[in-house]
Amino acid sequence: MNYKINKLDSTRLLDIGGLVLSGGRPILAIILAFLVSAVMIIIQGANPLEAYSAMLRGSFGSVAALANTCVRAAPLLLGGLGVALGVKAGLLNVGIEGQIYVGGSAAAAVGIMPIPVAPWLHLVLAVSAGFLGGAIWGLIPAYLKAYRGVSEIVVTLMLNYVGIQLCSLLVHEPSPLAEKGAFFPQSPPILASAQLPILIKGTSLHLGIILGLIAAIILAYVLFYTPFGMRTKMIGQNPEAARYAGVNVKKQTVVALILSCGLGGLAGTGEVLGLKLRLFDYFSGGLGYDAIAVALMANSNPVGVIFSALFFGALRAGAGKMETAVGIKAPIVQVIQALAVLFVIMIGFVEYNRKSKQDKRKEQMPEDTIYGSELNK
Amino acid sequence: MDQSNDLSTLRMVGISKRFPGVLANDNIDFEVKAGQVHGILGENGAGKTTLMKILYGLHQPDSGEIFLNGKKVEIHSPKAAGDLGIGMVHQHFMLIENLTALENVVLGLPTKHPPLLDLEPARNRFNELTKEYDLHLTPSSPVWSLPVGDQQWLEILKLLFRNAKLLILDEPTAVLAPKQAKQLLSTVRRFAQEGRAIIFISHKLEEMKEVVDCVTVLRDGHVVGTVDPKEVQSAQLAQMMVGRDVFLDRRERAPYKDKKEVLVIEHLDCLNDRKLPALRKIDLTVKSGEIVGVAGVDGNGQRELAECITGLRQFTGGTIHINQKPVDGVINDTTLLGYIPEDRHKTGLVLKFTVEENLILKTFEELPYTKRGIIQWHEIRQKADALIKEYDIRTPNSMVPVNHLSGGNQQKVVVARELSNKPALLISSQPTRGLDLGAVESVHNFLLKERNRGAAVLFISTELSEVLTLSDRIIVMFNGEIMGDLNAEKVDVNLIGELMLGHREGLEATP
Repeated sequence: MNYKINKLDSTRLLDIGGLVLSGGRPILAIILAFLVSAVMIIIQGANPLEAYSAMLRGSFGSVAALANTCVRAAPLLLGGLGVALGVKAGLLNVGIEGQIYVGGSAAAAVGIMPIPVAPWLHLVLAVSAGFLGGAIWGLIPAYLKAYRGVSEIVVTLMLNYVGIQLCSLLVHEPSPLAEKGAFFPQSPPILASAQLPILIKGTSLHLGIILGLIAAIILAYVLFYTPFGMRTKMIGQNPEAARYAGVNVKKQTVVALILSCGLGGLAGTGEVLGLKLRLFDYFSGGLGYDAIAVALMANSNPVGVIFSALFFGALRAGAGKMETAVGIKAPIVQVIQALAVLFVIMIGFVEYNRKSKQDKRKEQMPEDTIYGSELNK
Repeated sequence: MDQSNDLSTLRMVGISKRFPGVLANDNIDFEVKAGQVHGILGENGAGKTTLMKILYGLHQPDSGEIFLNGKKVEIHSPKAAGDLGIGMVHQHFMLIENLTALENVVLGLPTKHPPLLDLEPARNRFNELTKEYDLHLTPSSPVWSLPVGDQQWLEILKLLFRNAKLLILDEPTAVLAPKQAKQLLSTVRRFAQEGRAIIFISHKLEEMKEVVDCVTVLRDGHVVGTVDPKEVQSAQLAQMMVGRDVFLDRRERAPYKDKKEVLVIEHLDCLNDRKLPALRKIDLTVKSGEIVGVAGVDGNGQRELAECITGLRQFTGGTIHINQKPVDGVINDTTLLGYIPEDRHKTGLVLKFTVEENLILKTFEELPYTKRGIIQWHEIRQKADALIKEYDIRTPNSMVPVNHLSGGNQQKVVVARELSNKPALLISSQPTRGLDLGAVESVHNFLLKERNRGAAVLFISTELSEVLTLSDRIIVMFNGEIMGDLNAEKVDVNLIGELMLGHREGLEATP
């Protein structure tokens, strides 16, 4: 009987260890990223501690700073959730950038239209249009993936260029969305009734971050507590077993990818209706690519995405302060960001190796030691 | 380098190889001469593949020696084997699909002017060889565009290109149409006339008789004997292959009274993954309260049969009815059908899911596990705990990922899930593969219990002994056909062996 108890304990310990590691992994990665970046800051002749503390003040040091962090985190959060949902279904949606433009354009189209409805309804319609814009855009990779076997990675990536240019087309005359006679390619301003409300007066903190938090909680709940979430994880983990268990894998692929793209559309919606208040050419400037990093950093856990989006937002918000305080140029935060993601992946890899070595050792033990040999005697 | 040109004999002496839990080769002596086609016959798991892998340098024997022309050699890698003039065509092709035929052939060979790759001389040689052996291969066509038969030829061409003197062919006709197979066999004879030695592994008695000079029969890792297949009776060969000194006891069972037809298959045709016919006009009926064992060498249509019945594979002709309901898609109803798939890792389980998630993999959308669209984890946990107890699944708790369990316990998770809703029909495909004895025993017990409850059980296994132990009726599959339908109570093992090899005469002789 003794061995059985050992087996119990060792398995449990392994689980706890895994849990601690999965939470600790990003934190360790961030620390490593800051350490490596510190070297670069020193080379540029500044004190990294000063630089980092300026960055900290710029991102969390005041209400305005905190608001700035949240504003910057909002699109990353929504986009990151989109990527995360895709990953859960075994799909890599790298087209958030394109979906931001298409969703943003759709939201703007409704937002500048004087629709004779209650203001709150106008806002709801505009936000829905943004989500639907992304989702319908997502039909293209979803159909091609599920029914034609075309890699969703290639399709979503290529559609980014199309989405960006589509938006550009829309803000240039003679498009109906372009403002007549403007100096800059842009749409007319979003009507007040369709703007996302500002949460704290005097800052630009709009409702987008709340939308993101709600979306994260809903996504976490859906993944764990609904059959839809179960099916999504099944096709992500083992599509063959999902088919065997009666899941319509093609349909599930389509729905999951559409929703993932819809979240990308929402990310653009928040930017247009909450921050920019017009549709501009190239208004995202790469948020959609950072969203992929946000999801990777959080290992596609919806709740984790909240934290990693806030971290990325804080880096951006603090960059300006750091630049004025110690004279280190803002792009260093992109280095930090990239290093953090790389370290997360590297730590994950080391962990995986360690684990597979353990598994191998376990396999080499003859079955009887794990198995009750008294079982059949 | 050119020592390969004078291969006259190759001897393997006292080869033993042990894998965890199984003695794959037990003191095997084996000899092949130039100018000879030497067949190897044996059931799945008899040790053929292990022996060949040792010869080809993929495995190292635990003991034993290999002599080439009387001189002792050590074969540490396939490259060493190649240098000695030994070449092998694996059952699963070792080709790179994105490269052309010619590139595949020269892959791994040194070039004249490294680092440049000069393909012209190779192309000429390629064309010479294809002309000489009457093969219709174009050097520039990419491998993915080639039909299976041509890929097989390309594998052989690879060996000719390297001027291999000993060719190991592992079931080379398995993927070929009859006409292509004929051409292959005559080419094999020609290789022998050219002074090459050929080791020919096959499960088809007819082609053995046609092509080999002598055949060595392996069973359970031993050499049973080496004979000339033209001189001995087919029945005798079959007996050598399947005959057993110690015979496992048949499991006792009471006759089941209330028999009715559960599974009815009529004229079933289907294709395998390579779009070749896998089943040919199969008729089969399985009644409640009986276990129908499906015997046969692996790859004779058993997997496709199971997949057709469960709706996972589309069939091209015929009908399947389960309790009078036609099969026309994946069957979701766990009270109608339970299916223990052949590959529990690939099909039966989601390895990173927990034990409880795997236990409700097919039913999580039903009451009481999902109420008003919300998954009820406490209900699932209760059910899982009950199943863990009932099926004696050894796991710390129901929330452990299933890949932390041992193979036997993983299989019990599959079995528990498939049996828990008391299906009318149970399809069980190689359910004991890779399990230790205790786990095999308990899987057998569960199947027998299902039969006694009144389920119709189709039990597919390539282990003849367990088919004999467990079945009420035995059907033998060969090349997509049912060779015979036998009463398991008084069956002649040697007859099954013959049928497994595609030889029907024995059946007609016995009434």
